[in-house]
Amino acid sequence: MNIVVASAVPLLGLITEPVSVAHYLVVGAILFVSGVVCMAMKRNALGVLMGIELVLNGANVNFVAFASPYLQGEGSRSLGLDGQVIALFVILLAAAEAAVALAITLNFYNNHATVDVDRADDLKG
Amino acid sequence: MSALPMIAGALIAAPLPVAAINWHSLFFLLFASVSCGFAVAVVAADNVVRMAFYLVLSLGATAGLFFLAGAEFLGAMQLMIYVGGTLVLLVFGVMLTAQAPLVAIKGSGRDRVLAGIVGVALLALLLQAAFSVKPWRAPAAGVVAEPAATPIGMSLVGVRVDEPAVGAPAANKRPGYMLPFEIVSIHLLVVLVGAAYLARAKRRKVPRAIEVAASVEPPASVAEHASIGRERHRSGSVLAGGRP
Amino acid sequence: MDLGSLLTSTLTDTLEVSLPLFRVELALSATIVLVLLCRMLPVLRWLDSALVALGGVAFALWYAWSDLRGLPGSPWPAVVAATHPASQELFGGLLIFDSLTAYIRFLLAGFLVLYILFTKISGIPDREDGADFYTLVLGSSLGMCLMASANHLLMIFMAVEMASVPSYALAGMLKGRKASSEAALKYAVYGAGAAGVMLYGISLLAGVLGTCHLPSMAAELGRIVGDGADSFYVADSAGPIMVLTLGGLMMAVGLAFKLSAVPFHFWCPDVFEGAAAEVGAFLSVASKAAAVALAVRVAFGLGWLGDAADASAAGLADVRHFLVYLIGLMAAVTCTLGNLGAYGQTNMKRLLAYSTIAHAGYLLLGVAAAVAMLGVDPEGCRKAVTALAFYLGTYLFMNLGAFAIVAVLRNRLRSEEIAAYAGLVRSNPGMVVAAGAVLVSLVGLPPLAGFVSKFLIFSSLVEAITKGIERPLMLVLLVIGGLNTVISLFYYLRVLKVMTFDPPPEDRVAAPAPVWLPGALVTAVVVPVVLLGIFWSGLYAYAQLAGTFAS
Repeated sequence: MNIVVASAVPLLGLITEPVSVAHYLVVGAILFVSGVVCMAMKRNALGVLMGIELVLNGANVNFVAFASPYLQGEGSRSLGLDGQVIALFVILLAAAEAAVALAITLNFYNNHATVDVDRADDLKG
Repeated sequence: MSALPMIAGALIAAPLPVAAINWHSLFFLLFASVSCGFAVAVVAADNVVRMAFYLVLSLGATAGLFFLAGAEFLGAMQLMIYVGGTLVLLVFGVMLTAQAPLVAIKGSGRDRVLAGIVGVALLALLLQAAFSVKPWRAPAAGVVAEPAATPIGMSLVGVRVDEPAVGAPAANKRPGYMLPFEIVSIHLLVVLVGAAYLARAKRRKVPRAIEVAASVEPPASVAEHASIGRERHRSGSVLAGGRP
Repeated sequence: MDLGSLLTSTLTDTLEVSLPLFRVELALSATIVLVLLCRMLPVLRWLDSALVALGGVAFALWYAWSDLRGLPGSPWPAVVAATHPASQELFGGLLIFDSLTAYIRFLLAGFLVLYILFTKISGIPDREDGADFYTLVLGSSLGMCLMASANHLLMIFMAVEMASVPSYALAGMLKGRKASSEAALKYAVYGAGAAGVMLYGISLLAGVLGTCHLPSMAAELGRIVGDGADSFYVADSAGPIMVLTLGGLMMAVGLAFKLSAVPFHFWCPDVFEGAAAEVGAFLSVASKAAAVALAVRVAFGLGWLGDAADASAAGLADVRHFLVYLIGLMAAVTCTLGNLGAYGQTNMKRLLAYSTIAHAGYLLLGVAAAVAMLGVDPEGCRKAVTALAFYLGTYLFMNLGAFAIVAVLRNRLRSEEIAAYAGLVRSNPGMVVAAGAVLVSLVGLPPLAGFVSKFLIFSSLVEAITKGIERPLMLVLLVIGGLNTVISLFYYLRVLKVMTFDPPPEDRVAAPAPVWLPGALVTAVVVPVVLLGIFWSGLYAYAQLAGTFAS
């Protein structure tokens, strides 16, 4: 019965098998790509900033996966505490970056009366 | 479509599949799908307020993933700093700039298609990378993770009390992280000064740029002359005082 | 090991080994705090922030100078015996102190002294904004010092962030102006994106190699890329190599952005045009020097493991081969597009931005030559690094001079357009002579400093060719570098032609501004450009000292 259900729905293996590092890397990759697309596509400067947060978060998921002793399986290697500490500092640096980027955006808004990044086209050539 | 009730029925009818459920994996699936789903929703949404909300959900679910990976301190920090701090900051930004026509700025269709194609290609590449290293595909051996808060705290004062990581190269150094911990405080100070500088109103001698921008684009040199002229006047007078 | 002995060993390492070699950064940090305190306390408010910053930076310069002199093989052995080790890991391997670190720190501190004088004279941060401006400049420089000495992936990322984030705010310094806020927004968005991509690449590298410490990474990298038999991924190294390549390329994105190398250069002209000339000078000189140092650090750190010939040596040769082609290709494209982009520019700051891009390309040529000879020909590699160090030293004066002239002329003419400089020779011949010296030096014509530095870079390419190291690539790079020098001649000289031959505009604002202080500033920066072209052996001796780390 188990096998029948598992073959009917391949995804069922996801909840019967233990997870691996690769599972986390998939999540990290999706977050990262969402962030990159968000930065490339959004015209609202705040949307672009949100994309940056997603990108950094995707990288952080990778670090946590590599650092986790729990996820390590047969013959894999771990970054240990280093990975977790890096992720911690990335959270801090992201907060600092967000503060400055937001101040810059508000300043842009004060001068241009918009947050549409496509309107930032005075400088070119 | 009829598969769903069938599976549900099978799950309920047969006790074996329920017992076979790996609860860790189930929660992983739950958090991962919330995290990824709302990340994609951030991309798909046009309304910036909704985007902010989806982002909160996505990053919150990521904290759940951190807990599941045994990084409990990091998960707590993710919730407190990211969701509680950074995102609230962004929401403030949304509130300060949210005028009706600006809330939803739609990108052009061509941009969307292009971004979609690039995104899918990039995702394919990264997914291939994720699956191309064999040890990364090895299912978790189920070691019980040690609490990480104490080792992290000790490493931030420069002392490593954790065990060496599994499979680390022989030459690996295990530095204490006192230096980054201290230096990042200087960085935060500098950055806050910068942010405060940009947000602070400066005494203005030129018409507020907003009003000018709303009417006509000023000659590019007006604002520049006003600000530079003031500087020149000041330094000029100092210099003139020094000259006979 | 019990906690007490752990603590003791940490304390000993920090206090006795690391902190004495970390005084430059400590001085900068203390200066930041002092500048802010002086502004906060009413008792000290009469103190000008520029003076406080200048005092602190002078301390930093003194420490940097004594660090440089304390190195073994310093050109001044008679004065001070070598007190520092040639190479010393600080803080348990997070940073490394060696001759490159000491030299770049010295350049940065020296630049800061000149820079604070320059901004004080040109008057762009007025007294009200001075504390904020100098805090941001010093904070960013602190990050740049760390970039020059990073030895761990966390420090690489953190140093890049520390150097970049304050400079985003600096670009928005003229906060009432549309152009400035646009420049800041573009810089912040592109910069944060590049940093994010770089971080993702770093995570992949760290995940495959199982460590974040550069030398350990290199050892592991060599084993995996080599025959792979005794590596962690025993017989199955194709997948890890693919991930490593991907991670390396993503990391290169972040470094290329800091260097403004093509194809990640597009921010540079916009930011330089929108931001004040003073900020442009900072980004173009200090940021570039630190980025080159970090690129050398990463390329050398990942591509070379000292003379130890073990299982990883063969693999590292492959890594270097990959790096040389990557850097060389980027250098060639950066030079060419930078120089071509400069044509048709009407704004002087924008022209200088393209010039900065082109010079990043020349610097990358030197990095490519150095990496090519790394481990194969130690003598040639040392010479290539010497050329780079010398180039950075002269580039400091050339570009600071160029931006100082732009700032001084802006204060006089109230314009930064090249057309506004027409016929300047009649009213202000001294400034035109200075501009001529700087621009001709940027082209690289004798007898100015730019010629010597370009000559050194090209001769290290020639050395690689004559020794048959990566010959086809080096030959192509040499030809492209030579062609670019010819291309660049025209747009630099066009500015001089406008200044001398074109008739002055009818509506020129008569500027009765006092000239002696700005004039003294420009002279002080431009005279070294001329002198270093003739008496270059002094700086060269120190550049040679910087090169010793590669042996």
